[in-house]
Amino acid sequence: MASGKSVPPRCLYRVVWLTVTGLLFAFLARAVEPQVLEEEARRVAVIEKITPSVVAVFDRQGRGGGSGVLIDEQGYALTNFHVVQPTGPTPRCGLADGQLYDAVVVGLDPVGDVALIKLIPPRPDFRFPYAPLGDSDTVRAGDWSIAAGNPFLLATDFRPTITFGLVSGVHRYQYPSGTFLEYTDCIQIDTSINPGNSGGPLFNLRGEVIGINGRVSFEKRSRINSGVGYAISINQIKNFLGHLRGGLLADHATLGAAARTDEQGRAVVFDILERSDAYRRGLRVGDTILALNGRPIGNANQLKNVLGIFPKGWRIPVLYERFDMEQNRTVRREILVRLMGLIPREVVEGREEEKPQKPEEKAPEKKPTPPVRKPIQPEGEGAKYYVARPGFGNYYFNELERRRVVSALPRVPLDARAVWLLHGEADLYDEITGKPVRHPFTARLDGRTVRLRLGSLQYELEPLRVGEAVANLRQPPGSGGLLVALHYWRAFLAEQEKGFEQGLYYLGYEPFYPDGTSQSRMWTEVLYGKSGPFEIKIFCQPERKHLGGLECYPEEDADPCELIFSPEAEAKTGLPARIEVRFGDRRWATLHLHKCEAEMP
Amino acid sequence: MRNQVLILPPAPPMPARAAPGWMLVLAACCWPALTLVGQLDPQHGSFARLVQEVQPKLVKIYGAGGYVGITDYCSGVLVSPDGLILTVYSPTLDSQELRVHLYDGTRQECDLLAAEPVLDAALLKIRDGEKKFRDLPLAYFDLDRPTPKVQVGDWVLAFSNCFQIATREEPLSVQRSVIAAITNLSARRGIHELPYQGTVYILDGITNNPGSHGGALVTRRGELIGLIGKEVRNTLTETWVNYAIPIEPLRDFVSKARSGNYKPLERKKPIVEDRGGSTGIVLVPNLLERTPPYIDEVLPGSPAEKAGLRPDDLIVLVRIPARDGSGTYEEHVVQSVSQWRDLTLPIEPGARIQVVVRRQQQLLRVELEVERRPDFRPKKPTGEKAPAKL
Repeated sequence: MASGKSVPPRCLYRVVWLTVTGLLFAFLARAVEPQVLEEEARRVAVIEKITPSVVAVFDRQGRGGGSGVLIDEQGYALTNFHVVQPTGPTPRCGLADGQLYDAVVVGLDPVGDVALIKLIPPRPDFRFPYAPLGDSDTVRAGDWSIAAGNPFLLATDFRPTITFGLVSGVHRYQYPSGTFLEYTDCIQIDTSINPGNSGGPLFNLRGEVIGINGRVSFEKRSRINSGVGYAISINQIKNFLGHLRGGLLADHATLGAAARTDEQGRAVVFDILERSDAYRRGLRVGDTILALNGRPIGNANQLKNVLGIFPKGWRIPVLYERFDMEQNRTVRREILVRLMGLIPREVVEGREEEKPQKPEEKAPEKKPTPPVRKPIQPEGEGAKYYVARPGFGNYYFNELERRRVVSALPRVPLDARAVWLLHGEADLYDEITGKPVRHPFTARLDGRTVRLRLGSLQYELEPLRVGEAVANLRQPPGSGGLLVALHYWRAFLAEQEKGFEQGLYYLGYEPFYPDGTSQSRMWTEVLYGKSGPFEIKIFCQPERKHLGGLECYPEEDADPCELIFSPEAEAKTGLPARIEVRFGDRRWATLHLHKCEAEMP
Repeated sequence: MRNQVLILPPAPPMPARAAPGWMLVLAACCWPALTLVGQLDPQHGSFARLVQEVQPKLVKIYGAGGYVGITDYCSGVLVSPDGLILTVYSPTLDSQELRVHLYDGTRQECDLLAAEPVLDAALLKIRDGEKKFRDLPLAYFDLDRPTPKVQVGDWVLAFSNCFQIATREEPLSVQRSVIAAITNLSARRGIHELPYQGTVYILDGITNNPGSHGGALVTRRGELIGLIGKEVRNTLTETWVNYAIPIEPLRDFVSKARSGNYKPLERKKPIVEDRGGSTGIVLVPNLLERTPPYIDEVLPGSPAEKAGLRPDDLIVLVRIPARDGSGTYEEHVVQSVSQWRDLTLPIEPGARIQVVVRRQQQLLRVELEVERRPDFRPKKPTGEKAPAKL
């Protein structure tokens, strides 16, 4: 540099200061100890924090097992489905405190290879240590991860083995192995996981659970760590947590449509089931799927990957694109699609022995059936909390959750035996213009028959009368079945589970769209009722003490009649002031309730 | 506390002077150390950013194979902005229809420019790469830059498409490792000796899985230092070896191969010396690549007949004097007719060997003394049939 020119003293001072600090940094960086020690101390602290939450899962004979992780202080713990399959409904669990606890299987997700179990507290006031759940969508390839568990069932004192490694990839898809088991959107790690690590947690460096370890790739080598392991992402499990807590046998979703990747690398629909909701909402062969639940879809693989994280029955936004020949341009549309299930209904409901009525319809799907195993009898303390029932992981917990939701909703001060009379005005929307036309309405609900007077028209229906034609069940025309929907709305409010012939069950969390668009999404807990030919879904928000809506399906594989209840209530009874009636893609009517009364018969 | 030194008291203004040159030099010297501090990610040392930088320079290669033990996919690294791809030499490349998937998910057809088994390297080129990538050059590893020196104990990251987890635009798998040793490769792939016997980095992670070969080994700064090797076993311990071949010796290969001037190296053919021994065992004709070593005939009066061997016995194991002349014995699983030939031809007449054969459901171990073939005349050694060309 030119040395002849003078430099302002301040500038020189800065240069000196920078050099000195630079040197100091250099010194600190060379002598790596503080940095290394600090990182090490941080790791040790995280490991100490997570250790108490890690569970060693055993069968009752103590012969085999896996791992798990406690996710709340009541003792709920996540593990793999394939871990509790051989242990039966009442595994035994060891914690890092050296104690062995009785446990019971709560809910199962065989496709996702996840199970929720509950450790039985030894005392009523006992609180279990647990690990918080993280956000697996923020995990990136190259991040560090910690796996904890009981590989090779090494620990006799149940203190977990800790392994440390890198996240090798995210949003990975692993093909089904054997029957249904499929790892979608999973996290790939080089963190060592071995037999016995199954079901154990994968943590980030904040000590939050980001996944459940469950699978390893190997080919020529033996079934031990090959540097390529997979963890089920915790965000997927969160979608199923309601189902799991509710003691269900959860099922994953399919779109009812198959896509393949075209030359431009886009997911183009090449096959679609006509009985799928996607078809009813307008998706057709040749359409390009652009996004699913807001996540961009680049190709058919990604579609499969993203779809797999949702439970059956969820309604999620699908964005697609189609070339419109008439307008000579590409149009994009977002639809809300109710996802179909992966496992055939007969298997889920345990009526495998019943022959499907139309075998030719079932044939082309060729779905595998899970292996039938001899049930293992429940034993120990956990047996008190176990009720076996086809279609459920553990029916005991379904009842528990159903009661919680039902009891959180406000009681309607109308007698259950009384005839309910609802008076008000209805805005009927014109099919083409969408403009409302107002008519007075009266509805008479007595628990058996529904009568509706709408302007000058009158409808009457006895929903459970045998041999009623489907067209009648769909009365009034265009509503999709308002009469039946009103009947079961009353049934739920007046009698709760007793209002449903074949029972009322808890169905976990589901998104709910009060105004029929994806922007209006809110989270609800769903009750599912069955009565006669009808299936009814009731969307509840127990924490807000609000009943959000009701869907009534008078037939299989067809659109329901939807009732959406306003948060504002009619003053006397607490019934909603407005009920919106929807069917298919259309808003059919809005009922404004002015007066509700009960009349003893 | 050392850290408190950082809080400097304000110094009085100094007389105006030019900044001495040594200060700048000093500042420059400190710079690498400062950048090292900068590398320490606030996310607890995550490599996520580095992984994102490296991924676009990697490709998934699809070629021949697909049967047991040989994958039809492998990994590669881009070494030029117009689509030159460096990978390791493997049967996967033995295809007229080589394809790669780039980081953005596009599929490209490739040609094999040169392959060198002795260096364990091959160079591919994306067809019409100059035209395709003229306006949007690809990210690549610049081999003209000096390769950083690495030593045992250094942290490295391995990128590969192991198990074909990724297709199209899906990023390759990344694993962390430490260079456990820098040594000569003495490993074997199946029963074939690997032609490559040069220096390798032995890694402590499980980096060499199906399809990993040709993947990138990079430093913690993302500099390319090696290519991940194939799935091989150590000849002595039969354990799987995780290794990478250093990039440095491949520079010359790449620069010659890209200009079309590369001439394959002369290879010393492994020699099996016939010492004139005979056991009297005649095996079935060698018709397959790996013909099972069934005994076809036992010569009358031969050591084999005396030992009780019979036609239709299947040879499973042989215990022979160690080939290094140490006087010890070594045992080999015999998997083919040609392997039996390679193992037994060099045995000196008079040596005792043990053979384990399978007869129906039984395993029999017999011992026999190798006798001299009466018609044997020592001559110039016969060269072994050249290994099957890829």
